[in-house]
Amino acid sequence: MSAIPKLEFPPFRLPPSAEALRTEVRAFLKTTLPGLKTEDRYPSWNTPSPEFSRALGAQGLIGITWPKKYGGQERSFLDRYVVTEELLAQGAPAGLHWVADRQSGPLLLRFGSEEQREAILPRITRGECYFCIGMSEPDSGSDLASVRTRAEPVPGGFRVNGTKVWTSGAHRTDYCIALVRTSGQHGDRQRGLSQLLIDLKSPGISIRPIINLAGRHDWNEVTFSDCLVPESALIGGEGDGWLQVTSELAFERSGPERFLTNFHVLRELVRVVGRQPARRAASVIGRLVARLWTLRQMSLAVCGMMEAGQSPAIEAALVKDLGTIFQQDLPEVARLLAESDATTDEDMADFLDIAQHATMMAPAYTIQGGTTQVLRGMVARGLGLR
Amino acid sequence: MDRESREMLLETAGRLFADRSGKEVVNAVEKGEWPAGLWSEITDMGLPLVAVPEAAGGADGTLADLLALLRLSGSHAVPVPLMETALANLVLAAAGGVPVEGPAALIAGGLTLAGGKVSGTAKRVAFAGVAAQFVAVIGVGPAARVVVLDRSSAKVAVEPSFAGEPYGSAQFEGAAPVQNLASPVSEVRLRELAALARAMQMAGAADRALAITVEYCKQRSQFGRPISNFQAIQHLLAELASCVAATVAAAEAASRDASEVGIGSGAEFSIAAAKTQASEFAQRIAAMAHQSMGAMGFTQEHVLHHYTRRLWVWRRDWGSETEWGAELGAAVARAGAETLWPTLTSSRFAA
Repeated sequence: MSAIPKLEFPPFRLPPSAEALRTEVRAFLKTTLPGLKTEDRYPSWNTPSPEFSRALGAQGLIGITWPKKYGGQERSFLDRYVVTEELLAQGAPAGLHWVADRQSGPLLLRFGSEEQREAILPRITRGECYFCIGMSEPDSGSDLASVRTRAEPVPGGFRVNGTKVWTSGAHRTDYCIALVRTSGQHGDRQRGLSQLLIDLKSPGISIRPIINLAGRHDWNEVTFSDCLVPESALIGGEGDGWLQVTSELAFERSGPERFLTNFHVLRELVRVVGRQPARRAASVIGRLVARLWTLRQMSLAVCGMMEAGQSPAIEAALVKDLGTIFQQDLPEVARLLAESDATTDEDMADFLDIAQHATMMAPAYTIQGGTTQVLRGMVARGLGLR
Repeated sequence: MDRESREMLLETAGRLFADRSGKEVVNAVEKGEWPAGLWSEITDMGLPLVAVPEAAGGADGTLADLLALLRLSGSHAVPVPLMETALANLVLAAAGGVPVEGPAALIAGGLTLAGGKVSGTAKRVAFAGVAAQFVAVIGVGPAARVVVLDRSSAKVAVEPSFAGEPYGSAQFEGAAPVQNLASPVSEVRLRELAALARAMQMAGAADRALAITVEYCKQRSQFGRPISNFQAIQHLLAELASCVAATVAAAEAASRDASEVGIGSGAEFSIAAAKTQASEFAQRIAAMAHQSMGAMGFTQEHVLHHYTRRLWVWRRDWGSETEWGAELGAAVARAGAETLWPTLTSSRFAA
């Protein structure tokens, strides 16, 4: 018998400094959130509010891990984790700055030029500058290395032609970090790809809404037609795009938004069954609570590994896989339980609307940020199966 | 125990389990044989005394050391009451009593103590069929007592578990305990500690089931290639791995929490959540492991069932996901919706 595949999640506890920050964040949210309607708060990281983003920035809670010279707080990744999970759990409309805080800012910090960092990072931390991700294309989804958008070098910069899709928030953000081909041919796969920092106000960009099945306008199709971008828009080295984008995806996958996106469904379920639910109802709720607690422990363990300088890519993929399926199960389990165990018919009717809305949003969870199938392929590789 | 000592203990114990608790030994237990050789090597190594202070003849380990050992024992389907005896000794040592030689069975519930005599029937007691002593905690709060009862004072009816281990009921009628001490661990607490210990054994068994299936799918060839080359199998095993990882992570997190508090109370939320989680995924783990191995894993001949049948038995031992889930859910509902999130982030029930 060969060795047992090692998939350990060493228990990790957030330090007291992070828990102290949690108290501050809760106090801030307690005064900031009550003015907002429930439907304007979920899902937290897709719901835009410039007022909220600016207020959060003014509290020093965006880009908190970044150097002070760029407006950051030089706090730890664990502090950021706490801020993120509090925003999600309490339904803060953090959609506008989410991508910039989570991955675009860190990407610029790591690979961007000094000019890019100085121009952009402080604005992000103030909650004034928002980003979207230009990765997927009409013919390039899970197979990201097949992107066709081309940035042809011209004197002083690049001429960009091509189309990006599923671009969340392109209609309300300032910049897109696009993965484009700057050299070689389509078919060269990972080689010849670069990342460009594109100002969405540039001429030659058209943004068309793609409405999702719940009637929301989050996604867009972004078309570049002879869009000229300056040389200074190149992030990192020409041809280094693949390496950079892979490191960006690690940030995108491992966070608590992969299991806390519809936390409000569980909280409202607890409300709707009342203080003394029947034993069967209590048991269903307890089992959901146990699953969520476990996911959080796994996510914290991943956090601990990253803090220790490891690259737990497989473990992060496992958390996203389990977490997003939990988010799909939750509204359905909750719906069925509320139908039998809600304390009043009126509460039940209100709750069923919440659960139904959550169900309609749920197909996205196992698609965005890496499909379940892509993740399972990664895990299989981790198990030595391929 | 420092890190190095624990690693050494686990390495030595792991070798013993691998060498002496093989397939034949586990199968023999199912036929009603007592693996005296295995048990005496386990006691020679001092494993049932791992969490007992040196002064009382133990290895001076902690609950954390014991739990790590039990995860390992679960990954070898060790068919003797190591968990029960070691946990009994931990409780006895904390009460100032004398550790038992074992093999011992643990009881929390079903018994009464009056005038120094024990009466009542404890049902579905693990290893009742082979226990030399029964160690029971009776009562809660300051009234809690831990008693040691000789097998001669019990009427035992063996009802083997579905994993073929000698579970059964133990009846006492005015039995005189050989030890009777005030216990810092209540009846309720003993159930929690035992549930946590079982969750760790489940983590070990789940880990092993994954290892067995991964290995098998790499070896087994169909259509001219190892079945691990098929994406359908890869995805099945990846999903299995995610469920195993959840079981391990929950059990380990609760073990950490319980090891940081006193033996008498604390970490109640984490323990309840971990046993709920471990029991909840037992079926999915067993089902996926069997599916990936086809008919081979369904035979008596193969060892996979040593682990999957234990998962099915252990998910019920010391409280299933329904029982622990109901306790979690009732506590969460009582505290109200707004305290749910603080409860999750602190891993503590609201006051």
